[in-house]
Amino acid sequence: MKIGVYFCNCGSNISDKVDSVQVYQALEGLTDVAYFKINDLMCSEDGKQFLNDDIAAEKPDRIVIAACSPREHENTFMRVLTGAGMNPYLMQMVNIREQVAWVTDGVDKASAKAAQFIKGAIKRVGFHKPLEKKSIEMSPDVLIIGAGPAGLKAAITIAETGRKVTLVEKSPVIGGQPVLYEEVFPNLECAPCMLEPLLNEILHGEHAENIEILTLSEVVELTGFYGNFIAKIKKTPRYADLNQCIGCGECIGVCPVDIKNEFNNGLDVRHAISLSFAGALPNVPFIDMTACLRAKGEDCKLCERSCPLGEGIILYDDAEETVERRMGAVIVAVGASLYDAGLIPKLGAGTVPDVYTSFEFERLLSSTGPTGGQLVTSSGKTPESIALIHCVGSLDSNHKEYCSGVCCQSAFKYNLMVEHKLNDAHIYHLYKELVYPGKEEFFLYKRAKENINSAFTRYLNIGSLEITAAEDGRILIKNTLSEKGAIKADMVVLCPALAPSKDTDKLNEVLGTTADTYGFFEELHGRLDCAKSKVRGIYIAGACQSPMNIAQAMTQGMAAAGYVLSGLAEGKQLEIEPITASVDAQRCSGCRVCMLLCPYKAISLDAETRKSSVNEVLCQGCGTCAAACPSGALSSNHFTNEAIFAEIEGVLA
Amino acid sequence: MSNGSSFEPKIVGFLCNWCSYAGADKAGGSQKSYPPNVNVIRVMCSGRVDPQFILKAYSAGADGVLILACHPGDCHYKEGNYKAMQRHRLLLRVLNQLGIESERCKFDYVSAGEGDKFISIITEMVDAVRALGPLNKVIILDNIGYNTMEERS
Ligand code: SF4
Ligand code: SF4
Repeated sequence: MKIGVYFCNCGSNISDKVDSVQVYQALEGLTDVAYFKINDLMCSEDGKQFLNDDIAAEKPDRIVIAACSPREHENTFMRVLTGAGMNPYLMQMVNIREQVAWVTDGVDKASAKAAQFIKGAIKRVGFHKPLEKKSIEMSPDVLIIGAGPAGLKAAITIAETGRKVTLVEKSPVIGGQPVLYEEVFPNLECAPCMLEPLLNEILHGEHAENIEILTLSEVVELTGFYGNFIAKIKKTPRYADLNQCIGCGECIGVCPVDIKNEFNNGLDVRHAISLSFAGALPNVPFIDMTACLRAKGEDCKLCERSCPLGEGIILYDDAEETVERRMGAVIVAVGASLYDAGLIPKLGAGTVPDVYTSFEFERLLSSTGPTGGQLVTSSGKTPESIALIHCVGSLDSNHKEYCSGVCCQSAFKYNLMVEHKLNDAHIYHLYKELVYPGKEEFFLYKRAKENINSAFTRYLNIGSLEITAAEDGRILIKNTLSEKGAIKADMVVLCPALAPSKDTDKLNEVLGTTADTYGFFEELHGRLDCAKSKVRGIYIAGACQSPMNIAQAMTQGMAAAGYVLSGLAEGKQLEIEPITASVDAQRCSGCRVCMLLCPYKAISLDAETRKSSVNEVLCQGCGTCAAACPSGALSSNHFTNEAIFAEIEGVLA
Repeated sequence: MSNGSSFEPKIVGFLCNWCSYAGADKAGGSQKSYPPNVNVIRVMCSGRVDPQFILKAYSAGADGVLILACHPGDCHYKEGNYKAMQRHRLLLRVLNQLGIESERCKFDYVSAGEGDKFISIITEMVDAVRALGPLNKVIILDNIGYNTMEERS
């Protein structure tokens, strides 16, 4: 084997400390070393040209470059090798600058250390194999789970580039949580009006044909890997034709069944056939078959008969189906839910009348809500005072340790909305901490403070608050830690922390993604890559990753779209780094040790042959599996046992 | 090989590419010198460090072995550093039975920014192994995975 050694002086960075003559002498007698050449600055244009020409002339089998850190110029020299017609993996760099010249006292010691390092490389490089980057086709299409702000923003952004988006939404409507709000902070914009253009764009815009919206649907299986995922999506029937229905709503009033309306958090009733709320999009009703009389064997056809378009719009025979879609990437944007205030029972959620959570209160304030936006107590009275409890379950090691950042803003918003609706109602803010970060957020707090009917009181521990029904029909709020008098209010609004939605665990299982310590979808890196999950090709956006407001969710939707657009460019092939693991099937005993170890789920066991194999797209080349295989069947390309053993022998020789 | 103050231990250091190797480069950037006794072998992840590599190093003449990994939670490959840490703990028990002092096999965490920590780990390790003297046992590796030991000549 012909091995060439190149020694770079790095200007004088290396040559000041490492004497190339001493190094050369130390290498004397090593078999296979065909030549030893010195260059002054190998990474310069001249240096690279020299290397290129020299490789072309010498035609070595392997080369060793003793220079700076491979973290600095390994890629540079690999490109030179490729250009000179040599496989770039047939080289080993030796770091004699950062790890020798700059850190060793005395020329003799530095030269000796450099020689040891170079000997290791010479020994090792003989075991290098030519490796080729492979590439495979990728689908540029995308699956988005969740049609809230983050998912919608990502969907339209990606669809605008002509790619196909499958938007899967569990509920019958798109728009997420904000479409249920009358007004949003910080400037009390009408939420449905704010979202309408975006929703319209998605449903009927120029690029709508690129977006397939599957409402009442859930992803039940995901297989494959970045560039080539296949998803199974279960569609629950809507029992109404999405394309033909004109949304007149004639069918709804005739339905004889009344059930609790979950879209108003159970605060009123709806029919078995219904729209989620006035103005819900898509504007097509759905039948809740668990409630419909037909499910109980009756032959009710009242809704179908009332349809002005005649038969064929209401589809009683609609059935559940599972569809399959292929895509290159997945964006998870399933949002968050509220921390269950029932876990702090003394707050009276669900037990004391007129105690509401913030989501329920949003519906009470909404003109499409159960009271048409009128604030009245359950006994029909106009409230004279309303207590807003901040930090419910937040900043509390017994509940959620974090601050969600949005609950204070909601409470300040309620202050203003209540002020608008009920001129002189008293408003109490009970809080643990008040936060208003950001350039617009202080405004609402200031407005609340300026209202002479608003009072702010701090509590230390949510566990010391007791909310009970008083005998006079009002609500008594006591702080058991305080000797001061209790507060009486006609209505209480609990503002709980944002918490992971209840489907998070199930979805993590389906997607192979992970949850963080709080149960939110775990990001790859909290600052650098908070829109990436730990699975390649699966991105996370919006409040399913961390509590956040609408603006942040939209931005993160864009961030996820950005990853998709740059990574899955049309017609681009997925380049697979050749430094992966590979299995020698002959030696594999099928013990599955490697499968359980691989952090990327890159290894699978063939059910028939009982042999492992490595998926090169998923494998990141860490080599953890190779270090563990008891049969020596797994090897780590470019970092094979042979190469490392040889390097060990070389550096110690 | 002579013992005493002139003894210069030979140490093999397995450094993960992303944190520790970068930490060593960082130490280089600050141009502070440290003992030259550690021969660095770069691996992509500390999880790649097969206990056999460590045994091989002893059998090839190393007086000590150092494994440096990313800090917990920072592994570029999620959790290779935990695997490395667990394997190191197990290996210490084996080495103990072979009569190799635990000071000769050290595991630690160095991030890409911790050049100074890298220098102090190297310095302490070299001092500790110098104090122990040369490893005068040889581990014989055979290819069916049994490791035995002989006195070094
Ligand atoms: S650890 Fe080795 S022997 Fe066991 S299944 Fe994986 S490749 Fe096969
Ligand atoms: S090298 Fe790492 S990523 Fe690749 S298969 Fe092995 S354990 Fe998984």
